[in-house]
Amino acid sequence: MMSTQHSIAAEKFQEDKKQASWHNETLWFVREKRDRMSKSLPEWEELRTIAEKIKLHSVSNLDIYLEEFSKNAEANGVIVHWAKDAKEHNDIVYDILSKHKVKKLVKSKSMLTEECHLNPYLIDKGIDVIESDLGERILQLNHTAPSHIVMPAIHMTRQEVGELFEEKLHTEKGNSDPTYLTRAARASLRNDFLTADAGMTGVNFAVASTGEIVVCTNEGNADMGTSLPDLHIAVMGMEKVIPDHEALSVYTRLLARSATGQPVTTYTSHFKKPKKGGEMHVIIVDNGRSEILTNNEHIKSLNCIRCGACMNTCPVYRRSGGYSYTYFIPGPIGINLGMLKDPHKYTDNVSACSLCYSCNNVCPVKIDLADQIYEWRQNLDSLGAASSSKKMISLGMQFLFTHPTLFNTSLKFTSLINWVPRSMAFGLKEWEEGRSLPKFAKESFTSMWKKGKIKTIKKDEQ
Amino acid sequence: MSSKEYILQNIKRNIKTRLDKPKMDVLGIQFDHLLSQFVDICKAVGGDARILEKQEDVNILIKELYSQAQSIGSNLPEITISTFNPDDLDDPHLLNGTDLAIIKGEVGVAENGCIWIPQNVVHKALYFISEYLVIILDRTKLVNNMHEAYRTIESNDSGFGIFISGPSKTADIEQALVVGAHGPKGLTVILT
Ligand code: SF4
Repeated sequence: MMSTQHSIAAEKFQEDKKQASWHNETLWFVREKRDRMSKSLPEWEELRTIAEKIKLHSVSNLDIYLEEFSKNAEANGVIVHWAKDAKEHNDIVYDILSKHKVKKLVKSKSMLTEECHLNPYLIDKGIDVIESDLGERILQLNHTAPSHIVMPAIHMTRQEVGELFEEKLHTEKGNSDPTYLTRAARASLRNDFLTADAGMTGVNFAVASTGEIVVCTNEGNADMGTSLPDLHIAVMGMEKVIPDHEALSVYTRLLARSATGQPVTTYTSHFKKPKKGGEMHVIIVDNGRSEILTNNEHIKSLNCIRCGACMNTCPVYRRSGGYSYTYFIPGPIGINLGMLKDPHKYTDNVSACSLCYSCNNVCPVKIDLADQIYEWRQNLDSLGAASSSKKMISLGMQFLFTHPTLFNTSLKFTSLINWVPRSMAFGLKEWEEGRSLPKFAKESFTSMWKKGKIKTIKKDEQ
Repeated sequence: MSSKEYILQNIKRNIKTRLDKPKMDVLGIQFDHLLSQFVDICKAVGGDARILEKQEDVNILIKELYSQAQSIGSNLPEITISTFNPDDLDDPHLLNGTDLAIIKGEVGVAENGCIWIPQNVVHKALYFISEYLVIILDRTKLVNNMHEAYRTIESNDSGFGIFISGPSKTADIEQALVVGAHGPKGLTVILT
């Protein structure tokens, strides 16, 4: 029986039991904070409904809004570039930097530049690239990638960070106090901010009607990075464009509440014009996004505002860690985006889902993440990617979901295994081990069943 | 063909259906006591908020709150305790070392403690580079939520504007909250 890369990596993650359970509990704690925030707003569900509709509208009029955005941004004095793919994006960035003779670039967190592999490209060309978000900086010093899109270093212990800083920032031996370490990073990064020739940010929202870009951070690194040097380069995936301030008000209310359970991020910065005497560039990047527009089943993945709530709630992500996924964005949204990018390369990730539908229920823009993953599983054969174990997983889960009484009377998989035919039991057992026991809450299953959601599992009934 | 044309053509070709713009007229949460809600939320997001009493002097209050501050930057005429006017500096890098910046906010949002600050200084670095930040806000400029806030600032035309809610913070090391990541380690809103 074959195992998926995900299940092998998940098993490895589970070897450090203490750290694995810390990971699980901490992310669940963030998920609970998100719940409290959502319940404090009577209009929460109304907001989600509108947020979904605005995105579907913007994405289905993407050409119109991108043109409006770029026209207005240019009228504000911003230089707008368009990049078909990662390579063109990187070349444009380098071109701007070399024209300005930039030696040091401070960056604020951007998943798009991860997607384009910008850092190694620039470093190769001799540019000093400094990540300024604390989590990202830790990973940069450690030469590793983010394991979560909002909490990039969530998998590391404070001791690991302490040891790393000891070596790289010459902090005290054995001191792993988060405040002490954060202060050390602050001092070191302050020096980088003061000596950088250019600042780079991602874009959370691009407002078509005003030509502004909006960047949300808690640390203020995007602002430190862009208010000292004269050159600001902002890079955005083209689905980031929204119509106007009215739409923006909806998303600023959903983003931080969904991401970290805060009422808002500390800084919500609106960049409209270059600073006096400076230059501001925006690079609009396609890199495969326009192809998703033809895909009715998966078009909603373009709604994503990168809050990470789907990761925090996912029982598989919490127990297997971000590195167990083969695509650079992990969790439910990463499974889908990976498959959209290259279904052959990233097919392993589709097994990393218990179809508990929790992600569908937390996503602030109502992406039908679990339905999409189910779709991918059904299509594995046509993609030529189905292994016998994956078929088993699908069958096993389908069996579970279509037998609620059985499920309710035997909540533990171990007892459930006694009920199923031998071959299927084998599939389930493998599932159980590889995924480190995703537990289905009895209640949520029952309520889902009552709401009829389970029916979506059966394709012929859709 | 330029990349812009290529991308836009590709989008046009690939869009299957165009959906209408939804109604976005959300009322949003309303509070009975805007002022006390705002003060509470400022504290909840790691900062502080003080209501300036009629007989109180804002300069004395700030001096009390930040008695250690040596280098105090402000371009506000009513702030007499400032030690320099940040607008006199040619280069934002010179702002490094500012202990306290005192600035003016335009709108306060009761649902989340956000304060809207359109760039009203020469170097926006002032908002982020100083060790502590005081924002002075007219208490009649409070709104319930972000919908109301964006309606209020719709016509803003400064090149940069920002909502600030509390001091700079991070939880990137084991999710332990640390106040003062890169920006101010403390923030007090003074409601006049
Ligand atoms: S898919 Fe939804 S929940 Fe997941 S990161 Fe995107 S917006 Fe957040």
